Amino acid sequence: MNKVTMNKIIFVVLAVMLAVCGPASSQTGIKKRRPLPYEYGRVIIRNYSEKAGLAPVVFEHWIHRSKFTCRVCHVDVGFAMKAGATDITAADNAHGYYCGACHNGKRVVDGKTVFQSCSDHATAEDTKRCERCHSYGLKVASDYDFFEFSEPLPKQRFGNGLDWEKAEELGLIKPSALLEGVSIKRNPLVVQKDFMLNPKVAGMPDIIFSHTKHTVWNGCELCHPEIFVGVKKGTSHYSMVEITEGKSCGVCHTTVAFPLADCQRCHSKPVEP
Amino acid sequence: MFFTTKFKTKFKLTIITVLLFLGLAVFCGVRAMGAPQSSAAPASPAQETWRKEFDDVCGKTQDAMSFSPEELTDLIRRCDSLRPQIEKLDESRKKVYLGRLRMCRGLYAYVLDEKNKEKK
Repeated sequence: MNKVTMNKIIFVVLAVMLAVCGPASSQTGIKKRRPLPYEYGRVIIRNYSEKAGLAPVVFEHWIHRSKFTCRVCHVDVGFAMKAGATDITAADNAHGYYCGACHNGKRVVDGKTVFQSCSDHATAEDTKRCERCHSYGLKVASDYDFFEFSEPLPKQRFGNGLDWEKAEELGLIKPSALLEGVSIKRNPLVVQKDFMLNPKVAGMPDIIFSHTKHTVWNGCELCHPEIFVGVKKGTSHYSMVEITEGKSCGVCHTTVAFPLADCQRCHSKPVEP
Repeated sequence: MFFTTKFKTKFKLTIITVLLFLGLAVFCGVRAMGAPQSSAAPASPAQETWRKEFDDVCGKTQDAMSFSPEELTDLIRRCDSLRPQIEKLDESRKKVYLGRLRMCRGLYAYVLDEKNKEKK
């Protein structure tokens, strides 16, 4: 058997193996790689980009959450809680909605004018600007470096590797609860009491739910009734399986807020002997 | 004399042509600048009435728990009457404000439901 024939056989064998093993491994499931701290919360938006000949948008959640509360973006600006569900179009942005609510080349955040997102009549010269967001698969330098940004912030083990709550307490981040021209100026929220939830598993520490923190960041309508349908304690039951599937707490705590692997952040009441 | 009359007529015609041309240019320019009309452009006060109502109705969500069932019912009714007005807006505005209205109405309806359950 000559060398060329041998190479052909090896190629065919490898191709067959790939064809057989590929679907087989997908059926048994492959463990997802845990995102790196700077990747956690990242959203790739590709509803229309590729049809328009642009790379999908890479949205970095960490930098946006450091500047605005959840409510500003997910209630007032109107971003959906599920990646890709907002169905943002370039026209929406160009007309001052969604990304364009801030990225309009006029709004100033932290003393910096926020660059314009999509425009009605983009020219070839605008390519560089477009690529600031439409950057999936491209090497585009960002204005913000995660490591530089996170360096002074208190650390945590999972997610972005940061304790966002403590960072705010220490005044290291100041998420704004109002977006001028978009948000409704509301009365201050009545401080909600934190409460305890008892887990089903014996010996598992009770959950201390910080209603205060959640309402300050989210308001009421972001969670009720679309994410949590029960008001009275004990009327709704939540399971870890459902939470892992992205329901109730899992809407945020599997995607952008500290992840479920950080058990003790919720199951935080010491177990009494 | 003949030449003066001819010159005057020509001069008048030129002025009329120039004026017509300028008029047309201004008209088209204004049209071009105005179209397509951006939804972010300031709307007339009448068009913005819905926005005032929206801000008033949905700016009370943080107080939802303190409202009586009657007040909540009235807020829900106001949300429902806002819906057809928002549906008439351009696509972008419609998408954003229908979503916001859904959340705000949803909260009032949810609190009302809980309050009614409590009564029973």
